[in-house]
Amino acid sequence: MTAAERDRVDPATTAASEPDEVVGGDGDPASTDDGTSPAATDREDGGDAARDSPTERRALRAFDTGRWVGVTGVALTLVGIGIALRQPGTVLVGAAAVGYGLYARLGEADEAELAVEREVSDRTPDPGDAVTVTVRARNVGDAPCLDLRLVDGVPPGLEVVAGPARVATALRSGASVTFSYAVRASRGDHEWGTIRAVVRNAAGSRERLTELETPTRLTCTPELAAGGELPLRGLTTVSHGRVPTDVGGSGVEFYATREYRRGDPLKRVDWNRRARTGELATLELREERAATVVLLVDAREPAYVAARPDADTAVEASVEAAGAVFTALLAGGDRVGIAAMSPRDCWLPPGAGTDHAVRGRETLATNPALAPTPSEDRFYRTLWRRRFRRRLPGDAQVLFFTPLVDDVPVDTARRLDAYGHLVTVLSPDPTASASRSTATPGRRLAAVERRERIRTLRGAGIRVVEWGDRSFAAAVAGANGRWSR
Amino acid sequence: MRPLAAVGIAAVAAGFLVAVDRGLASTLDFSWVVVTLIGLLGVIQGVRYASARRGRERRSTDLGEPERRERAAVPGADFDATVARAASARRRRGRAARDDVRSRVRAAAVRTVARERNCSRERAAELVEEGTWTDDRTAAAFLSRSASYPLRDQIRGGLPGRSTFRIGVTAAVDALERATTGIDAGGQRVPGRSETDDGTGGSE
Repeated sequence: MTAAERDRVDPATTAASEPDEVVGGDGDPASTDDGTSPAATDREDGGDAARDSPTERRALRAFDTGRWVGVTGVALTLVGIGIALRQPGTVLVGAAAVGYGLYARLGEADEAELAVEREVSDRTPDPGDAVTVTVRARNVGDAPCLDLRLVDGVPPGLEVVAGPARVATALRSGASVTFSYAVRASRGDHEWGTIRAVVRNAAGSRERLTELETPTRLTCTPELAAGGELPLRGLTTVSHGRVPTDVGGSGVEFYATREYRRGDPLKRVDWNRRARTGELATLELREERAATVVLLVDAREPAYVAARPDADTAVEASVEAAGAVFTALLAGGDRVGIAAMSPRDCWLPPGAGTDHAVRGRETLATNPALAPTPSEDRFYRTLWRRRFRRRLPGDAQVLFFTPLVDDVPVDTARRLDAYGHLVTVLSPDPTASASRSTATPGRRLAAVERRERIRTLRGAGIRVVEWGDRSFAAAVAGANGRWSR
Repeated sequence: MRPLAAVGIAAVAAGFLVAVDRGLASTLDFSWVVVTLIGLLGVIQGVRYASARRGRERRSTDLGEPERRERAAVPGADFDATVARAASARRRRGRAARDDVRSRVRAAAVRTVARERNCSRERAAELVEEGTWTDDRTAAAFLSRSASYPLRDQIRGGLPGRSTFRIGVTAAVDALERATTGIDAGGQRVPGRSETDDGTGGSE
């Protein structure tokens, strides 16, 4: 652990840098000292216990762990042997074992009556930042917890990088325990689940799970990378912009010459020709117009795939690329909207301007439809298509980000194309593998199927850019060179 | 169970009575046989109780691993799992899994053949069924009812720990890969194929 991280962990610094945050605990200086070690636990006497009301909780039934099953059998056997062989010593040992049998039946696993607080060092970190999470639990019940295990409900999209997010301890009434760990922030709106507290009785023969509600939220909004210049296709609006058209007019690129008509601006007269032939002619320049573009991100459950189980998913790659395209297009004066192909609704209508850029950035970062882990809701393809078509402006192009791991996106792209929207499919490749020989048949078959899908799309006249190991910008640059307008 | 419990309660009550009034003890028989029998009864009962331990798992709440990020699915992992199930299961039980695997590979093969040979899906399905879609006899036999595996594969598949089915799947996927990328499993380019077919090319 570096010194810098150590500083972050120190709750004293946390409190200083985040004055609006509730600083938990009872202000005992001992607690700040112990906070320097992320997994450290400390116990202290309760100061004003009246302030601590137990956290809202849901307790399950206590159950037998089966830890001491058979101990009475052992006791009885020993006593029996002792009697049969007339050995008083063995009978005495058996009597001691009876004690264990009684001990196992002693006490019940109570509900964990705890007041729990969770603090994060930074609620809006940048991606990759280590965020320290400190959990403080105080036993506000009357009974002591003789064996308490607390496991924090770390959001599934976050990875713990320092210290386990759990603690095992015993807490007498009024005592508290603190533990802290660090997570690496990644894109998304992350919400902590319930803290799970397992209480056992002294012998460990009974156990009970209590779930404690302590909502905490962490929002990580990445800066959108300035993206590569993505070639749009020739469907445009009437507004001036950057997509070259087949319409002559005012612009910068030569388009054609025509006969001079009265009223043409003098600077567009072809003076060279006038000098050569004596005729007056007017230069026509290629008009450049703005386009309306909708970035559609495939975030159905099948799209949450990655080349390795611990790697970022294709949705993550899609969202990152969509961010790059979003900035590039907005900078070029196009109107850009965002939609997700997901069970949850996500629609940012096409727009332009600074506030639209901010809205787009927030949508890509925190919209639940683009969450880092798949939604559990069911995706209804037909309903989604109908709604998307209704919203999609008639002159909008669609940039469709999808890993193409099943046939639904192919079908969708072809339908949108058939409805008259120009579709470009941008596909992160989750089937790319480091070495061809180590790839399993399943992986290779998935790659074959995906390749066929790409061919089907290209055969239907839909542009496809795919990127695997190389960066998105490089793939787009490569595609730019290949495409003819 | 009820009569046994009644006997137990009576025995304990008798024990307490003896403890209170020692005079009652003289009425009991403390011969060697009786005492040994009581001891043996204790041992039998004790072993019965202790054997409750056997076959009883210790239960505890599974707290999982919240520290780890949720694992992403890997494309094709489901297919590999089905292949493993199909290859390891006995003849009858693995049939459904084998059919699943075959139909998925067949669908991919028909699609590829239809595009490669520029023919209809029906014609491509016929070619796959006949086994004439590829030069690889193992791959052809995997998807065909008429073609049979080469003798070499039958011998290899018969070895312990190997299965003809698995050899067939691998060969079929290899053949498909060659057909779609123009690159074989060794990374060598198949002669006579153009650059644009390797999946990175292609144009409108």
